[in-house]
Amino acid sequence: MSTVAEMRTAARRLLPGVLVLLGAAVATGCASDAELDTFAPQGPIARELHSRGVLPVFWIAAVVFVGITIAMVWLIWKNRVKTYEGDDDWPAQTHGHVPLEVGWTVGFLVTMIAVAGIMLWSLPTVDATEDNTMMVAIDDRSVEWAPIIVVVGNQWWWEFRYYFSDQVDLADLRAHGDAKTLPPADIVTSGQMVIPTDEEVELIITSRDVIHSFWIPALNGKRDAVPNRFSPWKIEASDPGFYFGQCTEFCGLSHSRMRMQAVALTPADFQAWVDRTSADAVEPTDPEALAGMEVFSGICTSCHVVEGLNDDVFESADQASGAAPNLTHFAGRSTFAGGIFNTYNADGSLNRADLEAWLRDPNALKENYTVPGEQYRGMPDLDLSEQQIDDLVAYLSGLGERPADWIIEATQVE
Amino acid sequence: MAITEKTPLELGPGDSVRYAERPLGVFTRPQGGRGWRDWLSTVDHKRIGILYGASAMFFFLVGGVEALLIRLQLAAPEGSVLSADVYNQVYTMHGVTMVFLFIMPLAAAFSNYFIPLQIGARDVAFPRLNALSFWIWLSGAIFLNTSWMVGGGGADCGWFCYSTNSGVAFSPSHGVDFYAIGLQILGIASLVSAVNLIVTCLNMRAPGMTLMRMPVLTWMLLITQFLLLFALPVITVALFLLMFDRLFDAQFFNPDAGADPLLWQHLFWIFGHPEVYIIILPAFGVVSEVIPTFSRKPLFGYDFMVFSGIAIGFMGWGVWAHHMFVSGIGPISVAAFSLSTMFIAVPTGVKVLNWLATMWGGKLRFTVAMKFAVATVAMFTIGGLSGVTHSVAPADTQQTDTYYIVAHFHYVIFGGGVLGLFAGLYFWWPKVWGHFLNERLGNWNFWIMLVGFNLTFGPMHILGLQGMSRRIDTYARGYGFEFWNMAATVGSLLIAVAVVIFMWNVVKSKRDAPHLPPPGPDPWDGRTLEWSIPSPVPVHNFDTVPQVHGRDEWWHTKYAENDEGKVVRVATVEEAAQTGEATGVHLPSPSFWPLAVAVGLPLIGYGLIFNLWLALIGALLTIASLYSWALEPVDDPDAAHDHSDDEAEATDPVAADDSTEGDQP
Repeated sequence: MSTVAEMRTAARRLLPGVLVLLGAAVATGCASDAELDTFAPQGPIARELHSRGVLPVFWIAAVVFVGITIAMVWLIWKNRVKTYEGDDDWPAQTHGHVPLEVGWTVGFLVTMIAVAGIMLWSLPTVDATEDNTMMVAIDDRSVEWAPIIVVVGNQWWWEFRYYFSDQVDLADLRAHGDAKTLPPADIVTSGQMVIPTDEEVELIITSRDVIHSFWIPALNGKRDAVPNRFSPWKIEASDPGFYFGQCTEFCGLSHSRMRMQAVALTPADFQAWVDRTSADAVEPTDPEALAGMEVFSGICTSCHVVEGLNDDVFESADQASGAAPNLTHFAGRSTFAGGIFNTYNADGSLNRADLEAWLRDPNALKENYTVPGEQYRGMPDLDLSEQQIDDLVAYLSGLGERPADWIIEATQVE
Repeated sequence: MAITEKTPLELGPGDSVRYAERPLGVFTRPQGGRGWRDWLSTVDHKRIGILYGASAMFFFLVGGVEALLIRLQLAAPEGSVLSADVYNQVYTMHGVTMVFLFIMPLAAAFSNYFIPLQIGARDVAFPRLNALSFWIWLSGAIFLNTSWMVGGGGADCGWFCYSTNSGVAFSPSHGVDFYAIGLQILGIASLVSAVNLIVTCLNMRAPGMTLMRMPVLTWMLLITQFLLLFALPVITVALFLLMFDRLFDAQFFNPDAGADPLLWQHLFWIFGHPEVYIIILPAFGVVSEVIPTFSRKPLFGYDFMVFSGIAIGFMGWGVWAHHMFVSGIGPISVAAFSLSTMFIAVPTGVKVLNWLATMWGGKLRFTVAMKFAVATVAMFTIGGLSGVTHSVAPADTQQTDTYYIVAHFHYVIFGGGVLGLFAGLYFWWPKVWGHFLNERLGNWNFWIMLVGFNLTFGPMHILGLQGMSRRIDTYARGYGFEFWNMAATVGSLLIAVAVVIFMWNVVKSKRDAPHLPPPGPDPWDGRTLEWSIPSPVPVHNFDTVPQVHGRDEWWHTKYAENDEGKVVRVATVEEAAQTGEATGVHLPSPSFWPLAVAVGLPLIGYGLIFNLWLALIGALLTIASLYSWALEPVDDPDAAHDHSDDEAEATDPVAADDSTEGDQP
């Protein structure tokens, strides 16, 4: 084998190591433009999970990897031969060495006991819960709210339910047992979860159809949403901010277009959001929007609820959201259609292009299952005229108050 | 086989003559020959091994095309090569194809071909069952893939096919029906094969071949068969429930009827995790044969290697819920499965160090087979270590269902399993075909595949840690996924080039073979019994069944260590190898009935989906074929063989099957 070939061999052996190191460098260095980066934890839970659970075991794995790779490269370098020189060319015939083998068995055992220690040390970071509460004003009275948000997976969007007046906990919901008929909530929103900063927020995660998985990497790991099961999880953000997420359990046709965000607001801003969002929709005055409201009442009402407009046609406004997102405060959220499109452009204007395209041909943007008259999962094609689309855009863009500029800015990822 | 064939033998001494008169013409056994018909009726374990191997390579291409489609779709953000619907089918069928239709049957090819040769047997214990397992596997494989044509597309629920997404309401095409029934058919094939090979290993070893003298490849394949034997019933139950849910509204997995969707996950992974070891252990076996041969040293710590393999086999049953750390199971469950997952790394790590210790002080000759074997160890180490990083359950909550996991299991299954089996292909090719694979092309194949592999799956570690979810058909711009996805796609094209080179190598080396010196029985200076017989292997394997005196029997026939511990040759290959010229060796006769039984099963499958009358026809065909099989005479009296032992055959039913000839305690 020529020297060039030998060097090539050595280089090849080293490549995986180089790749992994490069990988670590890139993974840690990309935080600025990788909104889902697991190596860029933002909240206290995610930070502790990262420093206790992730990094130590990565270091252990890296040390073992480097050790084995060096040993392998050295063995190859030292012991390689081009051909065998006849019958005498035999090395010493070692059949084994029991103390040595017991030695490295114990060595691996000790290493794994260390890894087990890491696991047991970091497990409470995801399982322990605090009994924190905060004061929230709702319907002109002040309540002590144990921050709990009920998170419901649907094909292919997330619903977030806030219970202030009649608070529910895990035991209540497990006793209730059915994710399709949850108790009425003060706020039902979708796509974007709003949380107060510096509060550990308990999530009770469930699903109405298939298994989904809720994940805001900057704030904590993920937890599956299993139909009719209620699983506890928690997130916490120390700073106001906009945190991206993606459904991570395969949930059918448009799984990749099921995204969500957490918006962390200071307690005062959170209270303001609660005040805005717990209110019913206001009837528009603009004629185009009024025409849009007519279209909405005629067509969209089959699935979507706007509180104050059509919640009377449903048995209960909250149950209706089992079919489609509650749109009462559509314009108050910076994304729509399962968290995949920006509601506003970078300059703060309405993202009319995507909104119109979505109403015109939703299937082209996010595939759905439709069996006319029987089954609608995902937004079906409604055969709207251009006039109807314009009217609807006018109506929808007036539902709820435009979010703060910094939120609109943070929503832009490109 | 002996049981079903005892009946005619017990007709009484006077009746045995009726064989010669062919009691029922239709049941005459076909005779061996050279034409394609002989491949349909063969019961020769070597031919069945080749059938498994060739079909597996075909499905490797199918699964590979699916992989390329996935990579083309994900090369850039907002990919539009495939629709979401088609993407979901393609990635599902990629996984199912690679696991059930490529790696498992390729490992089955090695099991079939080499277990009898390595233990000094003339065939497997039940030759017709062996044919049956292949034909059932093939009919299941074809059935599964016909869902593209007649089922409205492939299954679209992922290879893990989690409930409730696998229900009719959420997956309305017939894809999942084909998945549920197809995998049940494939499962029958693996079960039949597992029973057969376990009995072969336990009962058919040559005299002196104790269990602790068996070559490590055979050991690992034996452990694999036990894993198959116990794992497949679990998935079969799960698939049966799914099938009844979908076809007959059985409500096993419907949460609205009080069912728990997690039941499926438990059943699937109780099968699914041992399945990982079913995939990887055969490759471990191959590596354990190739590295010693090209290090000119015996395997370091044979006992540790065998027992660590057994330990992996056992512990593999206790780790399944590490696939479910985020499913909402309780903290104690999480901790327990997290711990068991960590400790399975111990026997695995021992194996890696023992391979390195085999190379330590050796003389390493880097043939293509050796390169693949060493690369297997290196790549598997990466996959194993990334596995340790997410055995820590809290860390796994950030990593599970991301591309980090995709990277991890491809390093294990491709880096460990596939590269290992490629080492086996280059190593045993001359034994099977009587000519080498071209080493120069093999080098190209190896290097391009290794670079392509790392370029494809290395970046997926980064993508996963950057938060890219699995099983997404598209991703948005601006999440930092663009560069490494493009890199992975380029890498996958390199893998495709490497596979094309391999196929060209197969063609070219066959074409060049007549102009090159034949490899002879023992081209690599091998250690185990298969190298003591001619290449290609004669139909009867061994002229005389060898007497085994220790591990690496064939090596010890050629070499001994003198008083100073130096290796000296005591016999040349020419002196010691068998010539393959024996005549009159009594071999099991071919049969068409295994094929006929197998053809009935997919008909039952189509029938369950489309029309129950078809299922009835399929069931009748299968049952009639089974009866025909049972009534088939033990042997074709006209087959050319020495009849001097016929008397023994008539009185001793066990001896009637001459494939058991070498079976002595």
